[in-house]
Amino acid sequence: MVELSLKVKENSQKFLKKYVLDEGLCTGCGACVSICPYQVIYRDRTVQLHQCDLQDGNCSAFCPRTPADPAALRKMLFESADLTPEIGAVKGYYFSRAADPELRATAQHGATVTVLLELALSEGLIDSAVVSTRNQEFLQEGVIVNNTEAIRKNTGSKFTVSPTVAAFNRLVTKEAGNVGVVATPCQALALAKMRISKTEEFENKIKQLKLVIGLYCGWTLSVEKYTKLLLDKNITPESIRKMDIPAGKNVLEIFTDDGAKAIPFEEVQACVRDACQYCMDSTAEYADVSVGSARFAGSWEEVRQWNQLIVRTEKGKALVDLAVKKGVLEVRTAPEESLNELKAAAVNKKKNALKNIIRKSGSVKNLLYLDSRDPAVLKYLTKEVFNKKVK
Amino acid sequence: MSKLLSPAKTEVLFMGNEAIARGALEAGVSVVSGYPGTPSSEVIERLSEVARERNLYVEWSTNEKVALEVAAAASFAGLRSMCVMKQNGVNVASDFLLHLSSSGTRGGIVLVECEDPGALSSVNEGESRYFARMLEVPLLEPASFQEAKDLTKWAFELSEKIRNIVILRSVTRMSHASGNVICGKLPEKFRTARFISDGSVMDPLRGPVVSTPVVIKHGLQQKKLQTAAGLFEKSPFNSYTGPKRPELLIITSSACFLYSREAIEMLGLQKRVGILKLSCTWPLPEKLLKKYLRLTDRIMVVEEVLPFLEENIKVAAMGMLKEIGMKTFYGKMDKTLPSAGELNPEIVVAALSKIMKVKPASLPAAYVKEIQKVAPKIPPRAQTFCPGCPHRASFWNINTALKLDGREGIVCGDIGCYAMASLWPEIGFHTVRTLHSMGSGTGLASGFAKLAAFGLDKPIMAVCGDSTFYHAVIPALINAQHNKADITFIVLDNAGTAMTGFQPHPGINESAIGDPLPSIDIAAICRGIGAKVAVSDPFDLEGTGKILTSFMAERGTLKVLILKQACALSPEKKGKKQFQVKVNEELCLGDHCGCNRLCTRIFRCPALTWDREKKKAVVDEVICAGCGVCYSICPQKAITRTEVAQ
Repeated sequence: MVELSLKVKENSQKFLKKYVLDEGLCTGCGACVSICPYQVIYRDRTVQLHQCDLQDGNCSAFCPRTPADPAALRKMLFESADLTPEIGAVKGYYFSRAADPELRATAQHGATVTVLLELALSEGLIDSAVVSTRNQEFLQEGVIVNNTEAIRKNTGSKFTVSPTVAAFNRLVTKEAGNVGVVATPCQALALAKMRISKTEEFENKIKQLKLVIGLYCGWTLSVEKYTKLLLDKNITPESIRKMDIPAGKNVLEIFTDDGAKAIPFEEVQACVRDACQYCMDSTAEYADVSVGSARFAGSWEEVRQWNQLIVRTEKGKALVDLAVKKGVLEVRTAPEESLNELKAAAVNKKKNALKNIIRKSGSVKNLLYLDSRDPAVLKYLTKEVFNKKVK
Repeated sequence: MSKLLSPAKTEVLFMGNEAIARGALEAGVSVVSGYPGTPSSEVIERLSEVARERNLYVEWSTNEKVALEVAAAASFAGLRSMCVMKQNGVNVASDFLLHLSSSGTRGGIVLVECEDPGALSSVNEGESRYFARMLEVPLLEPASFQEAKDLTKWAFELSEKIRNIVILRSVTRMSHASGNVICGKLPEKFRTARFISDGSVMDPLRGPVVSTPVVIKHGLQQKKLQTAAGLFEKSPFNSYTGPKRPELLIITSSACFLYSREAIEMLGLQKRVGILKLSCTWPLPEKLLKKYLRLTDRIMVVEEVLPFLEENIKVAAMGMLKEIGMKTFYGKMDKTLPSAGELNPEIVVAALSKIMKVKPASLPAAYVKEIQKVAPKIPPRAQTFCPGCPHRASFWNINTALKLDGREGIVCGDIGCYAMASLWPEIGFHTVRTLHSMGSGTGLASGFAKLAAFGLDKPIMAVCGDSTFYHAVIPALINAQHNKADITFIVLDNAGTAMTGFQPHPGINESAIGDPLPSIDIAAICRGIGAKVAVSDPFDLEGTGKILTSFMAERGTLKVLILKQACALSPEKKGKKQFQVKVNEELCLGDHCGCNRLCTRIFRCPALTWDREKKKAVVDEVICAGCGVCYSICPQKAITRTEVAQ
């Protein structure tokens, strides 16, 4: 760990190449892109075009797959009393949905993200938001929106990675006012690392970040593999209107112009981006609020209309409270067992990630980008994880 | 009037290559052909300037082999002709040369080859003197500027006397240095061409010109060589200067004669060391050699590059051992002198002082001190592409495409200014991985593309210039297309043989002397063989990038991208800026742009400089060619460009 940190100092870009890109750890979040001309995103890959010789560049400082100081990050962003080892800070945990049923029909699940984003914009909490958009193929990119219409055009889960942080970097290069970002866990982590960054020249940029709405994320799909899978199933990317993973069915549902299609989950999983198997975070722990699909007993048609919502920060709480007060968001208290289920799933993801990391590094002592001294890591470095490795 | 046409008896300062050209004029040459290549190009360039006045046909041919064939035809028709090339050009011409030397020639024909010891302007240090021995033709090496003229003229006479081609070898320091030359007479009459071929196959002047019957003609060729050796024995071009009984005899040729003479003077050894200067170096005049070998027991052979003379002298000495006795030889074979790189007077001084046990005079201490003080202040001048060079933009495009593709594709390089991308990798953004002879990049790519089955499954590219395309790429390209080699082949078409000074090539609609000629379209040739062809402007980074990435994604076939943009130094472009380019200091983030000086550190256009005080990029307007490419690469859009009214 210490050794790795030292290497970062040698040359950030080379470090990024050796320990992140070449190792298959790159999440494609875009944090290292648009802060300089050397890294770009091409399709869903991060590409280093030229060699930079900066010793401690922002690229490796911001990357969610380089060593970080998680204790410092948590201290900066959250109240210590709210912290849980499983899913990070929890100020409140709810089921939520947009009051407007029309919005729910077009957006993913309860449309909570859309509601919160629209509210933050209309209330002037933020001047613009960075969300992801998908093009004709499965390629996503961050897009800057500042009105309802633009937000609603880009709702819905896409399941491939979006270099959203790159769009954020582009936006804050100039005076952008207050900015909100809808982020996956890796993107939220990158944004958190930016906030803690000490570089003078980036300080003014990151100050503009006022809101991070996190998205639950189990994995993302490799564009190349996923496109191939869909082609095999005779599904053209441009015909897709919406995608979903319904509870308990073990399929990926794809709603196309020609109707709904279901792809067996194991086939989809074969397309998961390598980097995702080393990720410890499924609930976007470094966000102000995190939103995922709801899971509770009841008909899927009912469940599908709801989100899970974790409120993590004061700022997040204020926004959710305002949404409820304005009557745009319906919120109900989630039962304890639902939270426990979520935690269990999150722990499972953490353990799997550690297992995969140890398998990759070949040693319990080398956790790649993670710090074994971090209690949130140490806690899951259990015998079970070790033993799997020995197998 | 060109100084090449100076009247007889006048003394003119001629560059070695001009002296050769004048010699050819004095010999009454009618046809001159060649392919450009440093240090040979000026011979034809100067002759093309006087072509109309002297009734010459001057041609820049497609390659050296064709050039020699063109010159040989003139010889067969009874005219005097000359073919000019650089050292490795002889390799290209050598197949024809083998057969030509065997068939014999009629009108005097001289092959002038200018070599580049030290590879100052080459990617090889080829020694072509061995061709003379291997192909059994006479070899002449002028050792002064006067001799460059006189020996050239005599080479035509020799060729006509023995009815075979003669090779005249020069080196960079002979071709490119200048000296005074007293001119001879220019002939007043011009020959007419007549090709008589209805006689017997054994009739050298009236029969068909063929190398058969091989064994008989080969025997005749060897007799011609003996005749030449006989003439060499009495030739005034070989001379001895020095004491009657020297302690050491230097045998030398070409520029090394000048180095040796200077070294002897520097060491004050005029009374102890003699120099036998040979300008007729193959076949060796053995009687002459014997006479001087007898003078002393110690011999040093001074020559560039390989020990050609040394080997031949040693072999000859072995045959006359009884008469001359045992000798000690110094030279390249015993490592007294290096057999790689250029020689100079200092190297000869070092060798001589060691053998003669004398100390070279050292420089005054104060002078040395001053040099040591000043030397570090000389700013280093790195080799790079000129401001506005299309190659910089082309390699920028290629690098970007390769990186985006992500499969670590391989680019095979070729010969031209763009070869700098292989020699100094940062200039070509670390893209080019091979560099060999003209056209080889495409052949190598054709081969690399077939290694996928063995595990080397990467995108393969080759680059070549426009002149190189015509010279030697076409067969390789046909090979690639026919064998379904999956390569992206890129022509860096900068509208001329730019590196050697804009000599026209088949793609240019003008001859060596400026007459209109039809140009041959590269795209049409490539389409003709069935390749997919696109044409783009390398300055259009976006458009070119799209073509390249789509070409790389398209597997299994030959794709051709022609990147057309004239060289920044081309006569039609030089001094004319398309854009006025400036840096907006407010927008330039300097060291902190997070780009770590992409413009000056990576893009490296010499016109983009760094203001160390302001810590901002600055455009040097004096050398900026106004291509405007840097406008496209600046991530902050801090470089602005405004179209200049033409």
